[in-house]
Amino acid sequence: MILEQLEVTPPELERQTGWELKPEGLCKEDRCVPLPPGAATDGRLDATMVAERLGMPLVHDERHDVWALGPESGDHVLASAELPPIVLEDVDGRPFDLASFRGEKVLIAAWASW
Amino acid sequence: MALPVWRQLRTDLHPKGLEIVTVALDLEIDAARSWIERSGAEHPQLVDTAHKLDELLGIVNVPTALWVDEEGMIVRPPHTAAVERYDFSKLKAPEGLPDDLDAHIRDMLEQVKRIPRFDADHYVEALRDWVEHGASSRYALAPDEVVGGSAPRSRAVAEAAAEFDLGQYLHHAGNVEDARTHFRAAHRLQPENWTYKRNAWELVSPGIQGPTEFYDGDWLADIKAAGTENYYASPGF
Repeated sequence: MILEQLEVTPPELERQTGWELKPEGLCKEDRCVPLPPGAATDGRLDATMVAERLGMPLVHDERHDVWALGPESGDHVLASAELPPIVLEDVDGRPFDLASFRGEKVLIAAWASW
Repeated sequence: MALPVWRQLRTDLHPKGLEIVTVALDLEIDAARSWIERSGAEHPQLVDTAHKLDELLGIVNVPTALWVDEEGMIVRPPHTAAVERYDFSKLKAPEGLPDDLDAHIRDMLEQVKRIPRFDADHYVEALRDWVEHGASSRYALAPDEVVGGSAPRSRAVAEAAAEFDLGQYLHHAGNVEDARTHFRAAHRLQPENWTYKRNAWELVSPGIQGPTEFYDGDWLADIKAAGTENYYASPGF
């Protein structure tokens, strides 16, 4: 996820990465990572701390002063078989959540013009 | 381009309970637009200009597909999904090209012909089997097999996703040259990701993805280095 400052609000972090702020720390699936005391008191999380605690890369473009917080590394890309929320757009810019299907089987096919 | 095949499969299998969603891994929406508008498909056709599918699902090349059941559980993690029947042995270089370009394209076509192909009919049979039999199909995997069958994500792969994200962000903000620094980093960190490479190469060398001053690699040099047998991962059935 792109960050223009070195901080992130818990709802935005959850929307983009699936990590949810709970009393016990940041949680995803059945895993919780504790945070330092007072880490979220003003409604914002320090991005460097989040990256370090969750094992995420935080890369910087100095010229434009913008960061990207990457995914947590580990064994596999999928930590569970549940399709994560992935919101994409159609060619007219209308948002579409891939996880919005229920009750029918779905084949998601990636292709490219190149 | 596989869009007409996906459209036909959707026509056949939608009455039996299958929906299809196609996602173009194109940095530029307009590169995909005419293909999408001409396809005549009735299913959702989306565009992933930020390559979220690479980061969140581990996609590294196209065509790639995954299967999701009625409860939103993945039953087949991302896998090579070649559904087109195409005779690659008949590929020929266009006539009348300058000598150096002609040699480069002939060499590319030789590599394309060497890429191992998977049986499209078998893929469609497997898909039909799952649509008909659901969880009892031998092609539907259990949750632990889905997780274990998804792509590995090392620290370098995670960093590549972050670098590509910065690159696409700068590219879409109009900072095309600064974006290349991050695309190069993504290529170095995850050399097996062809979508990161081919998207970036296509922008500076359309159609050929040949050598340029902007990137260390190009399609021909990189497929020779990787080996054509490693271009598409086996779909696993």
